[in-house]
Amino acid sequence: MNAKNAHSSSFRDPSGYVFIDNGDIKRTILPIYFKQYRALNDSGFYNTLFQNELLIPHKELSSSDEEIIIKAEKIPFITYPYEWSFNMYKEAALLTLKLQKFSLENGFSLKDASAFNITFYNGKAIFIDTLSFDFYKENTPWRAYKQFITHFFGPLVLAHYHGAQQLKLISNFIDGIPVKMISSMLPFKTKLSPTLYSNIHLLAKLEDKHNEDYEGESKEASLSKQGQLNIIKSLYDYIKKLDLKEQSEWGNYYNKTNYTDDAFIKKSDIINTWVNTIQPKSLIDVGGNDGTFVRKLNNQAKIALVCDIDNNAVDFNHKTMKLNKEQFMLPFVLDVLNPSAGIGLNNKERDSFLNRVKDFAPDVTFALAVIHHMSLSGNVPFSQSAKFFSSFSKYLIIEFPKRNDSWVQRLLNNKADFKSHFDFYSQMNFEVAYSKYFNIESKELIESSERVLYLLKAL
Amino acid sequence: MTFLYFDPGLGAMIIQTIIAAVAGIILFSKNLMHKIKVFFGMAKPIEDDVFDDIEIKDSDVENNNSSER
Repeated sequence: MNAKNAHSSSFRDPSGYVFIDNGDIKRTILPIYFKQYRALNDSGFYNTLFQNELLIPHKELSSSDEEIIIKAEKIPFITYPYEWSFNMYKEAALLTLKLQKFSLENGFSLKDASAFNITFYNGKAIFIDTLSFDFYKENTPWRAYKQFITHFFGPLVLAHYHGAQQLKLISNFIDGIPVKMISSMLPFKTKLSPTLYSNIHLLAKLEDKHNEDYEGESKEASLSKQGQLNIIKSLYDYIKKLDLKEQSEWGNYYNKTNYTDDAFIKKSDIINTWVNTIQPKSLIDVGGNDGTFVRKLNNQAKIALVCDIDNNAVDFNHKTMKLNKEQFMLPFVLDVLNPSAGIGLNNKERDSFLNRVKDFAPDVTFALAVIHHMSLSGNVPFSQSAKFFSSFSKYLIIEFPKRNDSWVQRLLNNKADFKSHFDFYSQMNFEVAYSKYFNIESKELIESSERVLYLLKAL
Repeated sequence: MTFLYFDPGLGAMIIQTIIAAVAGIILFSKNLMHKIKVFFGMAKPIEDDVFDDIEIKDSDVENNNSSER
């Protein structure tokens, strides 16, 4: 069936499939979905969603009896649910509910509610599965309801009670967190909440009961449209109010750095001078905290990926991005020592971070105040971190805190008896190791600090 | 008739009637509480929020987001 080179993530839906044609993202629609597609097009449904920037825009390229081919706008870098901060996840969940409500009002219904149908683009969550809309049949329940609970509602509620790390669970359960598991992980008091009891605990019970019903004797369920709208509206209200309990370790990082204000300004001056000569269209800031440094650039790239290991810092960045209505910023959670792997069918359904960032090929990479954490907390040798950074971008702006920097001292003291094992941590060893992969274009000491900035160019 | 494969979401389909009823009661009572609070002048001011309302606007003119572009 998949005559063309179907994208490795596009095999689940029989309505059609995505393929890449000379770098363009195209979608084949098969006859089974022609009626729906025509209706969505002719009623102006697609158009309204395009104008509200809720669905990725597409253009129809060709149409025959066998297939319709559309070309979708290309998103430069796809982020996955397990890389989102709490509020990014919330935004995606709310978008799904919003789309389902709009669909119902226009005679359609989302046939799936996978978190992987959404990504972030131009500073907003956007729905990318154009063929997810089907006709609504009067008095039928929402087919994708359970998927919504296992992909969105469950993970968000778990994160509310147990912290943002829970959002990473979906990388192990790409078809959604099992309802029974969500139910068992929630504290007892959640059984007293009508919304949580009905949507999670009761659901888990019923699912359990009906999974054993192999005879298929249960009657077909029915639900009025108003009833379904009530579910959607109440989930929307509940999720909108959901917040994270935990405090950030890095949240107010910039208030507790060892920089003087003066050094901070010097640092951004040096970086700005270098960035002005490179004129990057795209960049990635590895360990970029809440995006403070990227926002200080006077020559703004068209797209800036800002990742950090701390969900709260990313969350703060997301909030700033929303309030400023920024389109260039793309925050996401990344652990440099364990970047997202390729997962799903053939390990290719969801691409690894490294593959995605290599395709994205940012013009410049920032690694500010990261190397001492990689080397001293993560025990990564310089040669390994140099190899990592050289694998995806041409220029690297890296900050090296010297041995007598207070942060470095703190990390070294944590090593106690093994402190001598980290004697390799010196500016000279750093330069030798990085010179194997990079040419040192420029280096500058940040005044009134123990830190050196390097501009490196890949060999 | 015996099915070899069973839609795992069946429980989820049936339960939606119950959830809809619960949701209906919650929405109704919240609405009522809000009206009472407004009546007594106790309604909270609307918070500065980054998330929109659930409504999607049909008309371009009403749509602030695209007109800002």
